[in-house]
Amino acid sequence: MKTQFPIYFILLIILIASCITPISDFEQVNTKSYFTIEASLTDQAGPHTVHLYMSSNQISGGYFQPVINANVTITDEKGTVETLSDPTQKGYYVTSSTFKGKVGSTYTLNIVTSDGRKYVSQPETMRAAPEIENLITKFEVEDIYAKGDPRRGGFNVYVDFQDFQTLGDNYQWYWRHYQKAYICEVCSNGYYDFRSNSCTFPRVPTDITLKYKCDGDCWDITYATSLNVFSDALLNGKRITGRRVARIPFDDITPYYLQFEQRSITQNSYNYYQSLVAQTQNNGTLFDVPAETKFSFNVKSTTNSSEKILGIFDVYAVKSKVFYIDRSVGIPAGETPTPNIVYGDVFSCPVGAVGCKEYVQCFQSSNRTPFKPVGWRD
Amino acid sequence: MKQKIPFLLFKYSILCSFLIIFSNQLLAQNTEFKLPQLSGRVTDSKTGEPVVGATIFIDYKKSGFITDTSGRFSIYLPKGEYVIKITNVGYNPFRSKVLLKDDTKFDVSLQDVSKTLEEVIVSSQATRRSIQTPSLGVTLLSIKGIKKLPAMMGEVDIIRSLQTLPGVSSVGEGSNGINVRGGNTDQNLIYIDDAPIFNPTHLFGLFSVFASDAIRELELYKGSVPSRFGGRTASVLDIKMTDPSLEKFKLSGGVGFVSNRVMAEIPIIKDKLSIVAAGRVSFNDFWFKLIGPDNMKNTRANFYDVATKVFYRPNKNNTFSLSTYISRDFYQVDSLFSLENVVAKQTQFTYGHVNISGRWSHYFNPKMSLEVVGVLSNYKTKTFAPDSVNRIELYNHINYKNVKANFDYNPNDRHKLNFGVSGINYQISPGRLNEDVQSRIATVLLPNEQSLELGVYVDDEYKASDKLTIQAGLRYAQFLNLGPTTARKYLEGVPRSTSSQISEETISSGSIEKAYGGFEPRIAVKYSLGENSTMKLGYNRMQQFIQILSNNTTPLPTARWKTADEYIKPQVSDFVSLGIFKNYKDNIWEVSAEGYYRKTQNVLDYISGANLQLNKTIETQVIAGQGKAYGLELMLTKKKGEVSGWLSYTYARSLQQVRGDFPELQQISDGNWYASNYDKPHSLNLMLNIQPTIHHSFSFTFAYNTGRPFSSPSGFFQLNNQKYPVYETRNNDRVPDYHRLDFSWTITNPSLKEKRWEGSWTFTVYNLYGRANAYSVFFKPYRGGLRPYQLSVFANPLVSLTYNFKFL
Repeated sequence: MKTQFPIYFILLIILIASCITPISDFEQVNTKSYFTIEASLTDQAGPHTVHLYMSSNQISGGYFQPVINANVTITDEKGTVETLSDPTQKGYYVTSSTFKGKVGSTYTLNIVTSDGRKYVSQPETMRAAPEIENLITKFEVEDIYAKGDPRRGGFNVYVDFQDFQTLGDNYQWYWRHYQKAYICEVCSNGYYDFRSNSCTFPRVPTDITLKYKCDGDCWDITYATSLNVFSDALLNGKRITGRRVARIPFDDITPYYLQFEQRSITQNSYNYYQSLVAQTQNNGTLFDVPAETKFSFNVKSTTNSSEKILGIFDVYAVKSKVFYIDRSVGIPAGETPTPNIVYGDVFSCPVGAVGCKEYVQCFQSSNRTPFKPVGWRD
Repeated sequence: MKQKIPFLLFKYSILCSFLIIFSNQLLAQNTEFKLPQLSGRVTDSKTGEPVVGATIFIDYKKSGFITDTSGRFSIYLPKGEYVIKITNVGYNPFRSKVLLKDDTKFDVSLQDVSKTLEEVIVSSQATRRSIQTPSLGVTLLSIKGIKKLPAMMGEVDIIRSLQTLPGVSSVGEGSNGINVRGGNTDQNLIYIDDAPIFNPTHLFGLFSVFASDAIRELELYKGSVPSRFGGRTASVLDIKMTDPSLEKFKLSGGVGFVSNRVMAEIPIIKDKLSIVAAGRVSFNDFWFKLIGPDNMKNTRANFYDVATKVFYRPNKNNTFSLSTYISRDFYQVDSLFSLENVVAKQTQFTYGHVNISGRWSHYFNPKMSLEVVGVLSNYKTKTFAPDSVNRIELYNHINYKNVKANFDYNPNDRHKLNFGVSGINYQISPGRLNEDVQSRIATVLLPNEQSLELGVYVDDEYKASDKLTIQAGLRYAQFLNLGPTTARKYLEGVPRSTSSQISEETISSGSIEKAYGGFEPRIAVKYSLGENSTMKLGYNRMQQFIQILSNNTTPLPTARWKTADEYIKPQVSDFVSLGIFKNYKDNIWEVSAEGYYRKTQNVLDYISGANLQLNKTIETQVIAGQGKAYGLELMLTKKKGEVSGWLSYTYARSLQQVRGDFPELQQISDGNWYASNYDKPHSLNLMLNIQPTIHHSFSFTFAYNTGRPFSSPSGFFQLNNQKYPVYETRNNDRVPDYHRLDFSWTITNPSLKEKRWEGSWTFTVYNLYGRANAYSVFFKPYRGGLRPYQLSVFANPLVSLTYNFKFL
């Protein structure tokens, strides 16, 4: 008899769906701009920069109003004073190129703004940074991204090093990537104006994207995209292996130039960066910690003790090394690079055009440089 | 009602049927023309009295005809098949099909709604005792009622069901626990047969830990808490397990998407000794592998829970019971929630309870009885990373021991006394990392914490007059934090931190490090405004000596519990409430309005970026503040009948102010009051159960509430080419409003051959219209600034089918 029904339960549809979606109609409820200090001093050759600006009061766009004409000094424990200057008048105060920090020395940052507000940092002592022993690269797929997403395939880079025997070492890893640039400007719906050195856009869109070649050697710079800090609280004195420090895109199989830094940051910097990690990297889960900005962390106002200021005075020693990551090995079958394509037509002057320029100058900026990076192999 | 068909004589083949009908009609035409009569009598099923004025509807017509003074009716109708429906106010409607070929007599007995008890799903006054006691804010839920609510993924869930009641909410789907009248999740005292539950959910908050089969009923005290309960400031959820049948073997169970369940009631000695055992096992791994997205393929998540109860009644005056409850969860997740500052790719978690409670009830005489209860409870968590060199094994546990004796004494009709003593011993191991483990990761052993919580209490329910009843109680609670421990002293005038610590004092075993004590008055007054309406007023003070240390949106199952000490003071809450209750139509309808206000002192918050895990000096991470909550709850309940359910509207606020000892340095949101994570001012809940026949039951639940708060940035700044949001005030914005509709349809099929076997199918759709309700809003750097994102837990409808069975 067929009537004996199995007590099986048949599931019809399941759509497990926890999902994260960008919000398009967000309205900001509070707006406020704060005095911000981005100051760092390392044991490398100067100049070292203290950037003073007012933070943006918008969550996207807005701009950083530079704080100019301030008196900025860095004092060590012996009382030696280094005065910083702002040659560009853009709020970037720099030390002399000969000035550099020394492991074991203690530094204090002093700022007096043109309207008389005074800010003093806690004294921060520079700690030694251990040598980078080895970087290990592995091709790894990140399953959270769908097939075809350029973020799916990539190379994870892991660092090995020996922690010092003393407790209380804190590390930060940072990297820069340089890539030869052949196109120095892309103008969509417009063309390049060689007098103003920027794209100009006619009233009627051209519907054409033009790519302008560089006038000489030029490199695009990209930076570490996430904060990566670590404390030796649970691994003091041990060899630390397999700490992931970077993820390299699989957009080509050519060697990848990586200027890698291992920094020994102070306890204050570690605590500060850890809170930023919680706010921007470990969020979006069911278990987020309260989003809270640490104001006036190691720099405080002495003229108005309740003033909230942003940023940190970061003092660290650094070990830096250049690596070429081989992107042609260890790739499983079926995985191919997802090239980063910039669409458009390469601009070239029409034959016989008088006074036409087609090469754009490679200007030094935070993401482009005409200067050959350290250890570059052509 | 069985229908009698008078033409069974004509038992021909199907081919002949046309002819039969035809010839029959010919026969009818040849005889005298007469319509058949349908007649009958409608009576009350309990009393047998005639039901006068009941309406009989034929074939869904809008108008019908009524029964006479003797409950009789009759009508002439053409031959054929009819659907008849008989209704009367106060009775469950009756429906049937009738094949009318000849004069037919049709007697019906209707069920009086007010006498049916099983339909009760919820009562805001704990029906059984509502008339007698002045308690308010007490809700009784029967498990039968809870099973009627649409359950997410077919898993009957107490915690989720409670959230359909006014005053009970959570931060969102997947949150670990409930918030009762603006209280935190750890301010609820949850008991299963007197043993405490420290973590009420499985799977990081998706399902509650209570296997529903073994539960008889639960009482939620969100307002008046009798003085026999103490130790938590917001509410008491008292869950009672089924007393097993002493007469008959019973088996029940179910097969569902998430888990399989089975329960057996086994009488050992008839009328004396019996056992009930219920268990539930999940099989999620299977689903993760089969249909889970790629990033969940490595995820393992399983749980089980087992509850047993031995019930022994040697004689009329003594009963003994021994209840056990065991729950276990296991997860494996990739690089999620790992410890800070370790190198681990995969982390596994296990956690669970082992609870044992024994109870002896003795009846001295009709006026006096005694209950003695002993409880052992253990809640243990383990975090594990199976790595060859960077192995992690982290253990936490709480051991809880409790002995209490409780007397009930009713000297006369006017007084009902309840008094007793209770002693609790807590042993907490707040963290042991890599003890005797070969690993590069260091060994960190936090010292055990031990303490005693002692209580004596008395409650008198005094019936001052027919209209006025007063329940006055007093509890005295004494808390002792005991050595061995280390007492640290800090510099005066600066916030506590590792650098401001000046000395350490060792406190020997058994010595008292810190003692706290205080009286907790509990008063409730009931005043009858009329026959069916009452007004109640209550005041409570409650103290809480143990709390969870967690600054997450919802606590992780591995979060640390901490008892009060020198620096962490007990929470004290003062609560007043006022309620008006009215019943209509023999208790079928109930309307209630309750308002409340609560103020809580010594609520904990944490310094920005607090490190709560494996921290020996936890007092350096906490800041104390205060909380207040107030609200108004309106509820309309239809407790019985073909259509039952409730509609409630709640206005409720939950606010906190945290200034710490050094406001200038520690205060949160400039020291202003801010909304707590679960502050949802407006909520509306509708629950509807429709049971047209015993075979079918339909349920709908609808929930609406204001979106919960989140912190919205006031701009951004930049360091090292990275952009970061600036958060100036906490919880200054809200996620979009929440609303959701669920549906379930249960088909019970009793027509299987084996009559003791009863099966039912439940088809459930959770989030019927698939709204992507936001759990949180957060910000990530994106191009020239920040971009807001929304996290939704269940963004699509969840459809499931469950098979349940009973063998009685």
